[in-house]
Amino acid sequence: MLMERPKKVLRSSAITVLLLAGALLSSMLIQEILAADAAVPSLFILAVFLVALFTDGYIYGIIASLVSVWAVNYAFTAPYFMLSLTIPENLFSAFVMLAVTISTSTLTVQRRRQQQVRSEIAQETMRANLLRAISHDLRTPLTTIYGSCSAIIENYDKLPKAQQIKLLGEVREEAEWLIRMVENLLSVTRIDGGRVHIVKTPTVLEELIDSVLIKFRKRYPGQSVSVDIPEEFVMVPMDAVLVEQVLVNILENAVQHATGMRRLWLRVWCEDGRAVFEVADDGCGIARDRLPTLFSGRMDGADGHKNMGIGLSVCATIIKAHGGGITAANRPEGGAVFRFWLALEDAPPPARRKGG
Amino acid sequence: MSNNKYKVLIVDDEANICSFIAAILESNGYQVLTAGTCLQGRLVFSTHNPDLIVLDLGLPDEDGSALIRTVREAGCAAPILVLSARSDESEKIAALDLGANDYITKPFGTGELLARVRAALRTVRTGAATPGEVFHVRGLTINYDARTVTLDGEEVRLTQTEFNIVALMAQHAGKVMTYSALIQGVWGTSDTGSIKKLQVNMANIRKKLGARPGENPYILNELGVGYRMYSE
Repeated sequence: MLMERPKKVLRSSAITVLLLAGALLSSMLIQEILAADAAVPSLFILAVFLVALFTDGYIYGIIASLVSVWAVNYAFTAPYFMLSLTIPENLFSAFVMLAVTISTSTLTVQRRRQQQVRSEIAQETMRANLLRAISHDLRTPLTTIYGSCSAIIENYDKLPKAQQIKLLGEVREEAEWLIRMVENLLSVTRIDGGRVHIVKTPTVLEELIDSVLIKFRKRYPGQSVSVDIPEEFVMVPMDAVLVEQVLVNILENAVQHATGMRRLWLRVWCEDGRAVFEVADDGCGIARDRLPTLFSGRMDGADGHKNMGIGLSVCATIIKAHGGGITAANRPEGGAVFRFWLALEDAPPPARRKGG
Repeated sequence: MSNNKYKVLIVDDEANICSFIAAILESNGYQVLTAGTCLQGRLVFSTHNPDLIVLDLGLPDEDGSALIRTVREAGCAAPILVLSARSDESEKIAALDLGANDYITKPFGTGELLARVRAALRTVRTGAATPGEVFHVRGLTINYDARTVTLDGEEVRLTQTEFNIVALMAQHAGKVMTYSALIQGVWGTSDTGSIKKLQVNMANIRKKLGARPGENPYILNELGVGYRMYSE
């Protein structure tokens, strides 16, 4: 459906020629074996019908029917090898073929249009669902922010200072959550919007991990992370801002969802020309029925505002856009493990620079 | 009021952002001027001669970088602190190369903003480090004359290049140095192919200064942009 134009023309022309050739050959065979002309027009009608069914638009069908009328008239109807449009029978069969072509083509075009409309509707529904989920997620912190601020402004003299500070602290916490949400959404639009290719720059692995840990510690000062990365100097081509976000999302996901977690590991190693990143925890693990749809961004079973659907689907989108892979599993010892890999060598790049 | 306060000009078209930055700065002893457009910014700049400019790049009338150009062309050395969006490294680098001193990524907290403002003003006050001077931050001491670096009293053995990098970063402590500015300062070329050379040297420096991922007490990575040495 999304073929480019020249390809479409080539495909339709090939179908037309093949079907007509087929009809011509079988007609010749029938004439040879059965010595009967009666079957010939119906064979050509079938060919015209199929052409109209499998090609785009009206034009191929009409060409096919004209060719068929000419072939039947010229080669298979007495007087042989002569055009005789004066015989009413021949004119009639020409008319029938054109009618078949036009009605079939009309039906085909209509059917395609309906299919397109249906897939557009499906896409719109998905977008609407996502928007609804996001808006729902945004409304909760906004309610807190608005409510707390109003409470403070309207009761400035009555509220004790400690309580005001508590309310303001909550406002800040919610605002921080909103910032992270918006960062995630922006990352996704940076990828799918306008089909921009990722711009990869060689990034020093140690510097990436350093930035990730600084960000993570700022948000969760109490959570320690055991880090294990290669001693040697390793460079990985990537969009560092996006991959940083993937790691922060996965680490954060562990803090929020791995109930009972005591240890959190971040490991990176190189194998088979890939850098493999792994985040593991010893928490409660991932429910088995959630594993298959973990990265798809489905919002079912979302526990209110600590929704992991968006964060993880953003991770998957980012890693896929890098040409890498991401998996999630449960460790046999208990707890969850997220793993993703990126190629160490940049694949021979197609024109992938975005402007500037 | 005493008139020996630092004058800070804030140029941002978002009135709310202006007002909270002004509140933070005023309550910390700075005098604040505000402008909502590039044109107003130019006007206030030429009439008030501020000590520091906090500049948003997305202004309604012109790109904020035009104001950086105006200020630098006027021969004014007042530090410029750019407010930038998270993910646009190229925008940050372009502003720094035009003559901005530093950037701060939106959204930011009070502490972060004040630290940047102090660092930017300090750079101007002290200028480039003069020979014979000694640089201190936390446990790190750099003696420019003797070309020695000590960490908690113990000497750190750096190669010549490594020392040059550390010294250059220390002279601009608190301010982000782009890869190209460091390469220019250390090797005297503007060859961007040297970024890897710089990064390898930096990895060695980190090791020698005892840094581990996530615990890097002296030099901060600004991924895709450059490095920043802590100044406090």
